[in-house]
Amino acid sequence: MTSAIQELKDSLHPKLRAVLEKRGFDEFSEIQMRAVPELITGINAILIAPTGTGKTESAMLPVFHHMLTDPMPEGFAALYITPLRSLNRDMMNRLEWWGAELGLKISVRHGDTTQTDRRKHATHPPDLLITTPESLQAMMMGKVLRKHLAAVRYVIVDEIHELADGKRGAQLSVALERVAELAGEFQRIGISATVGNPEVVGRFLCGKRPCTIVQVPVAKTLDLSVKFAGESFGDQTKMIDKCIDAHTSTLVFTNTRSVAEAIGHALLPRGDTDVHHGSLSREVRVDAEDKFRAGMTRGMICTSSMELGIDIGQIDHVIQFNSPREVARLMQRTGRAGHQIHATSKGMILATGFDDILESMVIVNKAMSNQPENIRPHINAADVIANQIAALAVERGEIAIEKIEQIFSRSFCFENAGPLIREVIAGMEKHYLIRTEDGMVITKSRARKYLSLNLSMIADEKKSMIFDVVSRKPVGTLDESFVISWISSGAVFVARGRIWRVLDIDEDRIMVEPAKNAKGELPSWEGEQIPVPFTVATEVGRLRRLQNFNEYRADEKSVLFAKKVLSEMKKNRSITATDQLIVLEDSDEGVVVNLCGGHKVNETIGRVLSILLSARYGTTVGIETNAYRILLRLPKFLRAPDVEEVLLSLEPEHLEAILMLALKKTALYKWKLVQIAKKFGAIDADADYEKISMNRLLDLFDGTVIEKEAFRELFFSSMDVESAKNVVAMLEDHKMETKTSRLSIIGAEGLFTGRDVVVPPGEDQAIIESVKHRLDEQDVILACMHCRKWKSKTKVARVPDQPVCPVCGARLIAALKPYEEPMFAALKKKTLSTEEREAETRMMRNANMVLSSGKKAVVALAGRGVGPEAAARILNTFATGDNFYREILKAERKFVQTHRYWG
Amino acid sequence: MQPEFYADGPAVLIERKERSLVIADPHFGVETDLHRHGLHFQSGTNSRLARLLAVIEEADPDYLIVLGDLKHMIPYVTYQERIEMPEVLRKIRRETVFRLAPGNHDTGLEHYLEKDELLPMNGALIDGTGYFHGHTIPDPSLLGHLILCGHHHPVVNIYDAVGCALRGTPGYLLAEIDPSVWGQVPAEPTRVLLVPAFYELAGGMDIRLIPGGRISPIAKAILTETAEVFLKDGTYVAPFAELRPDPLERV
Repeated sequence: MTSAIQELKDSLHPKLRAVLEKRGFDEFSEIQMRAVPELITGINAILIAPTGTGKTESAMLPVFHHMLTDPMPEGFAALYITPLRSLNRDMMNRLEWWGAELGLKISVRHGDTTQTDRRKHATHPPDLLITTPESLQAMMMGKVLRKHLAAVRYVIVDEIHELADGKRGAQLSVALERVAELAGEFQRIGISATVGNPEVVGRFLCGKRPCTIVQVPVAKTLDLSVKFAGESFGDQTKMIDKCIDAHTSTLVFTNTRSVAEAIGHALLPRGDTDVHHGSLSREVRVDAEDKFRAGMTRGMICTSSMELGIDIGQIDHVIQFNSPREVARLMQRTGRAGHQIHATSKGMILATGFDDILESMVIVNKAMSNQPENIRPHINAADVIANQIAALAVERGEIAIEKIEQIFSRSFCFENAGPLIREVIAGMEKHYLIRTEDGMVITKSRARKYLSLNLSMIADEKKSMIFDVVSRKPVGTLDESFVISWISSGAVFVARGRIWRVLDIDEDRIMVEPAKNAKGELPSWEGEQIPVPFTVATEVGRLRRLQNFNEYRADEKSVLFAKKVLSEMKKNRSITATDQLIVLEDSDEGVVVNLCGGHKVNETIGRVLSILLSARYGTTVGIETNAYRILLRLPKFLRAPDVEEVLLSLEPEHLEAILMLALKKTALYKWKLVQIAKKFGAIDADADYEKISMNRLLDLFDGTVIEKEAFRELFFSSMDVESAKNVVAMLEDHKMETKTSRLSIIGAEGLFTGRDVVVPPGEDQAIIESVKHRLDEQDVILACMHCRKWKSKTKVARVPDQPVCPVCGARLIAALKPYEEPMFAALKKKTLSTEEREAETRMMRNANMVLSSGKKAVVALAGRGVGPEAAARILNTFATGDNFYREILKAERKFVQTHRYWG
Repeated sequence: MQPEFYADGPAVLIERKERSLVIADPHFGVETDLHRHGLHFQSGTNSRLARLLAVIEEADPDYLIVLGDLKHMIPYVTYQERIEMPEVLRKIRRETVFRLAPGNHDTGLEHYLEKDELLPMNGALIDGTGYFHGHTIPDPSLLGHLILCGHHHPVVNIYDAVGCALRGTPGYLLAEIDPSVWGQVPAEPTRVLLVPAFYELAGGMDIRLIPGGRISPIAKAILTETAEVFLKDGTYVAPFAELRPDPLERV
């Protein structure tokens, strides 16, 4: 035993030392050796180390030491917070033994905890409570539990990277300050996976307090490679099959649940594999975990459900099917292999196509050189502020606004919230959650109910099952807010990359059938898509440009496949888009913008382009994006150079304003707005939207803090406005160029999901489109006023630019309404009545107009109630294009308001 | 007769001997009901009333005729309505003479109205035009005239070649009706004008789905062959029969 180990042991409480002896602990991992001496001094710290190297113990040994050494008041001395209930259970199993040996009471509390246990927590508080952020919120609503929380000395946040990245984390950061209000300062320990910016995670945990980072790089223990898995699903599963055979225990990660299911199904004949994902019931998942741990199964096909540290025993090999899309995800997933102190983690990506291979190569390199993505905490999320103000108001009955500001200012997520807090308070007052008086916020009866329904910042929504009546199979689930904003009988939407039409809706099922027609306003639902970050996509672009495949860790087949595609491109004289080149290609469906920007940047730029094109050309634009291309569905007359011109006219500082316009009418925005309005308490989680126009209700949020938050979150989470601005700036500085071309094989690759349609701004455009259509379809009688022998019934659309009489060759053709036909026939008589003579005069005027103005006159005369006088007025304005139709609309409106129309 | 359309209502002015400004279904006080259904918004009465007063000022009518559902809650009067209705009525009366063709939501409103303000349940003929809410069979005296009615909250969807370009915008339906479906003997031809809801949050009913529907006796009696549709500003959309169908709809 080395002296360092002895020294570490000696620093611990004798009881703890004895327990270590008993467990035969004579070796410590690097993280334990480094973290324990630091933490024992009481400092705040973030611990980062590979999975399975005893991070929990490195945090808990010093905490146990102090719990044994220092006098403890009654209550929860330590809180251990994890993001998931299943992790809570796992931690409980792991720490229970320590507790029993050390004589410390340990308990767990989360959503599934029984009433008996909950009561016990109040009457006999455990020394260490394992819980979730949401249960912590709930506990703070109770008087007795608040008293126990006043005893908190240590808070450990496990898998903190998972929380810090979202609104749950922003909420937790305030909750920790609320605990500090009750308990005074306490030691803060975060346990994190490898991230690009550990110091931000530290500030997230501690605010402005000092925080130490103790990091053991994961990368040096990783051994990763890319393998080409073939183009057919059969080849791909065969390869997985072989890999499972070659190892004792293998985890196969997929990006979506449906792919996990498909592979699981294909491997079913083996009999020693299981599927594990979030849509399966808890029993099924726990059973799969148990069987794997016991060695009864050799392969587990899973999704992100297996990413977090749930202990499933020994794993020798991790396969990632398709690109993992994010570096951090790959590190986290493959870090699951070799669950031993010194072992390396072996992992392999099975890639399936051009994009997939290049992306996998880039991600493997970044993982091996320890460059995971940065964690991005939500700064100034207004709905979290509202939620926590309501919590404070309920907790205290009333609280000074200044006190609220002080509490928020200690959290990293809100330290610069400034006037936003008062803005939120004003908003909450309007929605009847609280009232204010003399600088105090006072709770209202609704606040407690709101709070108990909104303990979580996860949009915890009712899910509705989508059921395909044709295949008699469930397709997936939809979130409630999506259902309320978009789903009604006859509605068409995209889910799972396919188009569906709603036939019927019952209690919790939406009956659909596959729809064939791909056009229309199609909201899309892609619940589990993992976006490729800008950093990865640009390096893919660089790899396309440099083609330095030998610097990456891929097998020969992958490189051959990639080279084959690139040489094919060359042969076809296609241009390959790179990190320095955007290629705009004309296809049958519209224009493909090849841009290596990643999902969020492409989404941002795609939306900006579509709103600008839609506004400029008055047409509806459909958009679909993925990490390397944007498809703009456009009318035939708009081609790549038109899109290029708009792209090059962009200025970085205008993007946000354009996007706000662009997003306002989209499904995405409305969905987000409903979600935030709910979290803000303006709309109840179980609100009933029947009978009212949700669209117009949402208009009530114009200019409010709720609208502001919806945009903030969209720009921050669903899009990447900052990087998009970079791209636009690079175009301005000519660091990036554009070219136009025909559709290439790369441009055509990739399944498109995520559709939306940008409608031209204003009602005006829609109405003009509709009148054009109506007039085109109108029946018209062309009648020769010269020989009076020829007449022909046709539709306005089919009338030539200058109609000519086929009998006499004259151009004096009247364009008559069908009901005027008998009158024209009557004109052949020798003697005409007064009425008939008047009609003749009108028809001559009509024909003269057609003679001088051609088809334009025919169109004008087809308007409802538009006679020769009104038509002459229209033609005299010399209006063209849309303005011409506006004039017709004006004349029709006038007619509708006449006595003649109403009788 | 010459109507004038006020898009900012929506409202329509009917002028014969007198000028009657007509609105339908303002649903004052709806927020209490929304509140109960989990939608927590401040009273919209002030902005809704301001909109109405502005239209009255612009149209300068002899009468304001409300085609029912002036208030919202059924079957009683809420606190919000009790507080707000007298004020709403006072401000309207200050501007013009006021008539209400009572709707199914107007229960309990009688106490707040003055003599003559409340028209009969089955409608009344004023200055040669019939006015009624639309949830009942109209009084026989209205037949043979143009009848304006509310209740249906008609909206128009406009489709273009790519999809729905304008969704749920308030619109009017002008149609001949066949009163014989209620067993009445038709007199002169009768036309109805379905007036869109003044209440801006109304979900509305797609105009294409109203005729023949079960929503009211009027809907059942509508003859679609000659019916025509226009928008809240009087823009002529199309004959009913030629409303462009949803391109996605199955044939």
